[in-house]
Amino acid sequence: MIKKEGSFKYLEIKNISKNFGETFVLKNIHLDVFKGEFLCLLGPSGCGKTTLLRIISGLERQTNGDIVQDGLLISNSPTEKRDFGIVFQSYALFPNLNAKQNIAYGLENKKINKKEIEKRTNNLLRLVGLEKYSDQFPSQLSGGQQQRVALARAMALSPGLLLLDEPLSALDAQVRSKLRNEIKLIQKKLNLTTIMVTHDQTEALSMADRVVVMERGHIAQIGTPFELYENPITPFVADFIGKMNLLKGKYDKKNCVFYYLNNRFLISQNTEYSFLENCLLGIRPEDIEIIKFRKNIEKEENILRVKIKEITYLGTIFRLTVVLESKLEENIFVDVISNQVISNNLKIGDFIDIKLKKEKIKLFESNL
Amino acid sequence: MYFKKNFNKSFNILLLRILIIFVFILVSFFIIIPLLPLFLKSFSDNKNNFIGLENFINYIQNPSLTQSFINSLKVAITTTFFSVLIGFIYAYALTRTRLPLKKFFNTFSLFSLYIPPLAVAIGLIYIFGKQGLITQGFFGTIPGFDINLYGFNGIIIGEIFYCFPQALIILVSALNLSDQRLYEAAESLKASPLRKFLTITLPNIKYGLMNSIFICFILSFTDFGVPKVVGGNFNVLATDIYKQVVGQQNFAMGATISIYLLVPSILAFLIDKNFQKNEASLISGKSIPFKPRKNLIVDSIMFIFCSLILILVIGVFSSIVLASLIKIWPYDISLSLQNFRFSNVAGNGYEPYFNTVFMSIYTAIFGTIFVFFTAYLVEKFKPLKKIRMLIYFFSTLPIAIPGLVLGLSYILFFNKPSFSVPFLDFQIFNPFSLLYGTMGILVLANIIHFFTVCFISATTTLKQIDKEFEEVSESLKVPFYKTFLRITIPLSLPTILEIGSYYFVNSMITVSAIIFLYPAKIPVSSVSIVNMDDAGDTASAAAMSTLIVLTSLFVRLIYEFTSRNVSKKSSVWINPLET
Repeated sequence: MIKKEGSFKYLEIKNISKNFGETFVLKNIHLDVFKGEFLCLLGPSGCGKTTLLRIISGLERQTNGDIVQDGLLISNSPTEKRDFGIVFQSYALFPNLNAKQNIAYGLENKKINKKEIEKRTNNLLRLVGLEKYSDQFPSQLSGGQQQRVALARAMALSPGLLLLDEPLSALDAQVRSKLRNEIKLIQKKLNLTTIMVTHDQTEALSMADRVVVMERGHIAQIGTPFELYENPITPFVADFIGKMNLLKGKYDKKNCVFYYLNNRFLISQNTEYSFLENCLLGIRPEDIEIIKFRKNIEKEENILRVKIKEITYLGTIFRLTVVLESKLEENIFVDVISNQVISNNLKIGDFIDIKLKKEKIKLFESNL
Repeated sequence: MYFKKNFNKSFNILLLRILIIFVFILVSFFIIIPLLPLFLKSFSDNKNNFIGLENFINYIQNPSLTQSFINSLKVAITTTFFSVLIGFIYAYALTRTRLPLKKFFNTFSLFSLYIPPLAVAIGLIYIFGKQGLITQGFFGTIPGFDINLYGFNGIIIGEIFYCFPQALIILVSALNLSDQRLYEAAESLKASPLRKFLTITLPNIKYGLMNSIFICFILSFTDFGVPKVVGGNFNVLATDIYKQVVGQQNFAMGATISIYLLVPSILAFLIDKNFQKNEASLISGKSIPFKPRKNLIVDSIMFIFCSLILILVIGVFSSIVLASLIKIWPYDISLSLQNFRFSNVAGNGYEPYFNTVFMSIYTAIFGTIFVFFTAYLVEKFKPLKKIRMLIYFFSTLPIAIPGLVLGLSYILFFNKPSFSVPFLDFQIFNPFSLLYGTMGILVLANIIHFFTVCFISATTTLKQIDKEFEEVSESLKVPFYKTFLRITIPLSLPTILEIGSYYFVNSMITVSAIIFLYPAKIPVSSVSIVNMDDAGDTASAAAMSTLIVLTSLFVRLIYEFTSRNVSKKSSVWINPLET
C-alpha cells in the first residue's frame, strides 16, 4: 500500500461487511484513506460501492466491522454526529429554497450569527462560481449549476470528509468534464479528504489520487490510476479500466512461452508468474502492432495472422476487430492510428499480421 | 487504541421512536381496539352474559333478517356494476377522447360528491316519488311515469349517484397514466382498436378498475342514508342495525348484524389489497402522455352520454333546492323561505347546522394534522419498521369499516369509564371515555371514518418527495422536525389543503358514523335530516340538505381559490427538475 509523504490515515475502514438477509453486499472491506486524498470507489452497478459510501456516512449500518475517522471510532455513531458532507446523484436540493438558502440550510441550525452565515454563504457561492445565481430556485438553474449548489451545501459546515455519490452522472458530457476539473481544483485547494463513487472509469482515472476497483462486494484492486492501468492484477480490473484482450491458453513457465491454439507467444522473462498451465494472456488493443508490409516476418516473434472483421472509427484511432481463421468467434481488438489504416487502405476481409508487444503482455490466473 | 467517544443514542432518533410508538398507540385505540367490544357484544346478550354463537344463529334463523343480507348484497353488486361501468365510460370520455367542453364535464361530474346520499334520496323523492315531477308528469302537464321508487329501484339509483363519482376519480387517474408511445408502437404493428384496448388500455388500468370495484362495493353495501329514505320495505343490513339499536335498543343484535356487515367489507378489502400488492407501474417516467385524436362519432356519442349523466346529477340537485323553496309541494308551488326556519322541527332551529359546521371545521383541522403526521412518520423514516408497517395497515383499514359499525363500536368502547382485565379482578381507567358525550367523539369518528383516503393521498405525496432530503438534513446536522416544517410541509401544501377540504366536505354530509354517537345536547344536521324525513317533513329535510350542499360547495370554492394561489406561488419550484 502506498503511503504518501507527510499524510496520515484520516479514515480507516476495518473489515466492513454488509448483508441483507442471506445476500452479501460487502465482504470484509479494508481501506485506508489519507488526509487530503481524493479517492474513487469504482465498479459496475451492484458492486457495493454506494453501500460502502452510505455506511461511511452512517445512512446505512454495517453488519460487521469498524470505521475510524480522525482517530475516533464512529462505527455506531448516528449520521448527524459524523463529520462529513455529501452530494447525491440527484443533488436533493430543496426545491422551495433558493441557491443561497440551500447552502445556508445547515449553517442556520448552528448557533452562528446572521452576519457570519451571510459571509460564509457568499464565500461558498464564490467558491463554486455562482455569486450571480444566489436568488434562483433549483428549477431555475441548469444541471451543472444545481450540482455546484449541492457541492457548496455539502461543504458549508466545513466537514472533514466529502462524500460524492455519482455526482456527475446526471450531466451531459461537456458539463461533466468541466465540473470534473472544478471539483478537483476545489478539493485540492481546501485539502479536503474526498471519497467519490462512480461507475465511469474515465471520471475515476482523471480525478482520483487513488482508485478502489470494486467487484461483487469486495475490493478487486487499489492503486493510482497509472498503476491500475499498467498493472492490473485481475482480468476484471484489466478489462474494467480501459480495454484488454484476454486470450485463454497454457503457460510454460520454464521457457516463458504462452500457447494459444497453435500459436506461441514469448513472455517477458523478468516477470514472475507463480501459476501454471491454464491461464489468460492479456494485451491492450494499443499494444498490438500491425505489420502488414514488413519483410522477414518469420524472424519476428509473437505474430498472428488475422482477418479483419470490422473497422470502427473512433477519431484519432481506428479500432479493428480481427479474428483468427481457426477461431472465428473470438474477437481481438487492435487500435491503430487513423493514418495507418487510411494509407494502407485496410478493408474488412483483409488478412493482416499483428504483433503482440512482448513487454506489454500480462498473464492472469484463469478462474474460468 | 482509539479514543472511543461515548455517543448516546441520538436524541433525534429517540424522539422519532417515541413519536412512532405514540402514533401507533393512537391508531390502535382509535381503529382496532374499539372493534373488540363490538365483537364481544355480538357474543353476549343485552345483559352482557356470554352466549357464544347464539346471536348469529338467531340471525340466520330469522328469515326477514337474512333477507336483508341478501338484499344488501344485491344492492352492492348491482350498484357496483353500474357505477363502475358509467364511471369508466365517463372517465374514458374525459381522458381518451376529444370530448367537447371537457373542462365543464370534468368539474360538474364531481358535483354529486357534495350532495349527502341522504339528500340525493330526498331529491329522488321529488323527481320519482309518489308526488314526483316525473311520476306526476310535471304537475300533470304531460303523462306521468312511475318507476316505483321506494325499494330496490330507488336504492340503486341513489347509490349509483353516490358511488359513480368515487369510481370516476379513481378511473380518471388510472386512465391518465398512459403512454402515447405504446399506442404508436401498436399502431405501427397494425393492431386493431379493440386489440389496443385489450392489450394496452385494460392492463394499464386493471389496478384502478379493481380498486374502484372495491370502493363502490363497500360504499353501497354499507350505506345507510339512501335506503333509510327511499328503501321502503326493502330492508338492508344498514337499516336493520339502525332499527335494532335506535328502535329496539338491542345492542347485542346490532353488534351481530354489524359483524355480518363488517365481514364482507373486510373480505373485499383484503382481496383488493392482495391484488394491489402486485402493482408495478407499466408507465415509465419517460412516457409521453396520450393525446387523443378527433373522432366525430366517438366524440359525439360520448358528449351525449356525459350530458345525460350531468343532466341527471344537476336535475337531482335542482330538485332538492326547488323542494326546499316551494311552500307545500305539490299543492302550493309558490316560492318561500319558510322551510329554512326549522322552527317546527324538534325545535332545534339552526343549532344542528352550526354544530355540523364546527364539527367539520374541527375534523378538517385535527384530521389533517393527524393523518399527515402519521403518513410522514410511516413514510419517511427507518426505525421501528414492523411498527410502522402495522400503522400503515391500520391506517388503510377504516375504508373497510362501515360508518354504522364504527359508530356502534365507538359507543361500546368510549362509554366505558374503565376496562376490566380478563381473568383478573382489575380495572383500568379508560381515558378515552372522557370524550364520550362531547363534540370530540364526533370529530374523532369522522377523522377515522375518512382516514384511509386521506392517508393514502398523504403517503402518495410524501413518496414523491425525495427521500434524500432527510438524509441531506442529517448530514447537515439539521434535526428532522426542522426539515419537516421547512421543506416537507411547504412541498406538500397542495395535498394538505386537499385533505382538509375532503375532511370538511365529508364531515358535512356524513350520517352513518355519527347517528349513534351524537349527544342529545349536540344535534347535527345530517341526523336532523333523517328525523325530519321520518316525521314526514321532507321539505325541511330538503332545506337542510340544500344548506349542507351550499356550505360544502362554498368551502370547496375557498379551497380552489387558495390552492390556485398556493400553486401560483410555488410554480417557481414545482417545475420538474431538469436532470
